[in-house]
Amino acid sequence: MIDPFVDVVPSFFATLNQGPLTLTLFLHTIIVLPMFWIYKSEKKRLEEEA
Amino acid sequence: MSRKVVSVWTSIPFWRRSAGWVTGFAAVLLIWLTFDSMSQITMGTDADLKNGITKRVPAPTVINYKITYEMDTRRGHEVPKIGEKEKFFGRDDWSEEEASALLRLGKLASQAKNCMNCHTLLGNGAYYAPDLTKAWLDPAWENYIPMTGSTTKEEAMSKFLQNPSMYPSHERMMPNLGITEREAIGLVAFLKHMSSIDTNGFPRNFGRMSIDGVTGAIHGK
Repeated sequence: MIDPFVDVVPSFFATLNQGPLTLTLFLHTIIVLPMFWIYKSEKKRLEEEA
Repeated sequence: MSRKVVSVWTSIPFWRRSAGWVTGFAAVLLIWLTFDSMSQITMGTDADLKNGITKRVPAPTVINYKITYEMDTRRGHEVPKIGEKEKFFGRDDWSEEEASALLRLGKLASQAKNCMNCHTLLGNGAYYAPDLTKAWLDPAWENYIPMTGSTTKEEAMSKFLQNPSMYPSHERMMPNLGITEREAIGLVAFLKHMSSIDTNGFPRNFGRMSIDGVTGAIHGK
């Protein structure tokens, strides 16, 4: 899935965007994981308010 | 503390925070990507060319060098290779200022004559006429040297551009656009520089579009 870097100008995104899968997995991870934390903290707040 | 059954999914603050996070993260990512692209599209200098430093977009003085299109097995596609010095309209000592002025003239001419109305340049434009991104590297120009009574490829290209309807080229014949000799030289320089840009192999299989592998992309469609 992660291939050796072959691009002309080194770049973080070029490494990441080897194909559609790597970038999709990265973006989903970075967006979805904090939403778990938002969910948990909201749940805690609602439970305390109730 | 009592633990009552609550639904987070119906909580408005939850959705507000989620939307805030996604929007904020996407904004930061887009700004980061903008700066990341800057390093990719920044033009190289004449010194880079002399020192053999590879840039995605080489300096305008690349018109002084021979450009070939070679298969890079590691990257899995063809890449433009800048080789030895090569005369361009009889000169191989175009200065940075002269070359920049020529490219600028070519770019303005390509916009004024609306090349993109039929052709594609670096992925932008139409696919009515052949893709011009790597047009300089098209082997079909070799046939134009005798056809136009020229001695070099650049001369043949400039003669063709000044009077395209005189030469049988494509099923969809290019019309005469009133391109002057000076504009034609600028356009050829603009095309030569564009062909030296590393486009990650775009357009795919450019050199091998034709059935016989000789006539190239112009007749290959």
